[in-house]
Amino acid sequence: MLALLAHSQPIKADIMTNSDPTPAPEEMDRRTVLTGLAGIGMALGLTGTAAGLAGIAGQFLYPSGGRPTAWVFVAIVSEVAPGAALPFVSALGEQIAIARQGEMGTVEDFIALSSTCPHLGCQVHWESVNNRFFCPCHNGAFDPSGVATEGPPAKAKQSLSRYPLKIEDGLLFIEVPVPTQVG
Amino acid sequence: MNAVETWIKNRIPISGEQIREFTNEPVPNHIKRWWFALGGTPAMLFGGQIFTGILLAIYYQPTQAAAYESVRRISEDINFGWYLRGMHKWGATLMIATVILHQMRVFFTGAYRAPRELNWVIGMCLLICTLITGFTGYSLVYEQLSYWGATVGANIADNVPFIGGFMKQMLLAGTVYNENTLSRFYILHAAVLPVVIILLIAVHIVFIRLHGVSEMRFEDEAKDTPRSFNFFPDHLYTELIIGLSLLIILTTLAVAVPAHLGPPADPLTTPEIIKPEWFFYVAFRWLKLFSGTAAVISMGVVVVTMFAWPWIDGAIRKRNPNSELSVYVGIAAVLAIVGLTVWEAVVAH
Repeated sequence: MLALLAHSQPIKADIMTNSDPTPAPEEMDRRTVLTGLAGIGMALGLTGTAAGLAGIAGQFLYPSGGRPTAWVFVAIVSEVAPGAALPFVSALGEQIAIARQGEMGTVEDFIALSSTCPHLGCQVHWESVNNRFFCPCHNGAFDPSGVATEGPPAKAKQSLSRYPLKIEDGLLFIEVPVPTQVG
Repeated sequence: MNAVETWIKNRIPISGEQIREFTNEPVPNHIKRWWFALGGTPAMLFGGQIFTGILLAIYYQPTQAAAYESVRRISEDINFGWYLRGMHKWGATLMIATVILHQMRVFFTGAYRAPRELNWVIGMCLLICTLITGFTGYSLVYEQLSYWGATVGANIADNVPFIGGFMKQMLLAGTVYNENTLSRFYILHAAVLPVVIILLIAVHIVFIRLHGVSEMRFEDEAKDTPRSFNFFPDHLYTELIIGLSLLIILTTLAVAVPAHLGPPADPLTTPEIIKPEWFFYVAFRWLKLFSGTAAVISMGVVVVTMFAWPWIDGAIRKRNPNSELSVYVGIAAVLAIVGLTVWEAVVAH
């Protein structure tokens, strides 16, 4: 370290005395071109790296994977009388109104309506007095089959979404989203 | 003493004269009227929000399981937690109110006109950032209003043509509110938006310094009134008086009307009566009047028109230099905003 310090002055002095302050014109041209090219190269490299990092950040922030679904048992078909309603809550907390509207004994008898308003995602609730589902956020209303009758959802012709149902061996099943990580 | 002075001068090589030159922007005389000193008010309130926000962040926990309880703890158990939360909540309210008042003043005095159009655009960006910070802020409490406000907000984003679905996914970290959502709101509220606001304020001030404050003369002014006065100390005293007044107002509000804590978020039940914070009443009422897409597109048109107003106004005034259309547009806009806000405030649904 001391040796380095001792040498630092003479070396600097050497450089100062030996260096030519005015390079030849052709050398200056070459130097200008090389410096320019190096600058462009570094700028492109940095831009590319920044774009790559932005892409990685975007991928990182974007939620990965879809929501898996599963068929979940709801009820024994013969035990559900026509006109009866079955409140159902999925594993993700989605409230689903399941009702039997026919007597055929087939899956067409049943309807499973999401309680999430198609307008802006609030939860609708059943108003028995008015025979309708009502969304308190923006005054949307839906008939018992989930078709919008009033408010912004009616204007946009949006209905309550339906969940797929199936009957197997006299048992009613519903297909609902399930958590991605199961214990 | 001399040695100390020399040491300091060597390390901080700027003279008192240079500091005076740097800070002593001549301030136009009309700024002595309080109505014209509104620009610095939201900036001061923002400083207060950073201070109280950092303190609140020490106890706040941004998870669905712990958020509400941590806010309850801040409000009820932690020493002076109720006061700091009240200051933060009322600081946000006043900040949004003063940003709107400042923007109204700039609009009605035509201070956005050439060559200051870009500063109007930066001001618009600041307004939007302030509103989003307010929105993400009350989402953090994780009470019913927070949960359903966040759900509605994300679904409003979903209605934006082309990029809406992507925006909603990025905001909620999924298609619905989930265990990863709250941390996104927290990062936006406590890190991303404050940094963006600081940068925007810096550019806003640089533009003011570059162009100078737009000068105004009033009919009741004596003709020999000086055209400007010094920033230091005259205007600094004005700002100090505003700052002290704000502290008194904020403390009074925090004590007299403490920050409320509603029922905890219940993803299964939207409350029968639900409303956002007052500054979103306009949008909330608008959303009740039209279908989702129509409401979002029309709001987008209004926002784009606000951004472009200096150029729209410029084109109008090119044809008719004496046009007062901007004043009438401003009055109509204020009446519409006040009307929709009052309408939403007085009815349950």
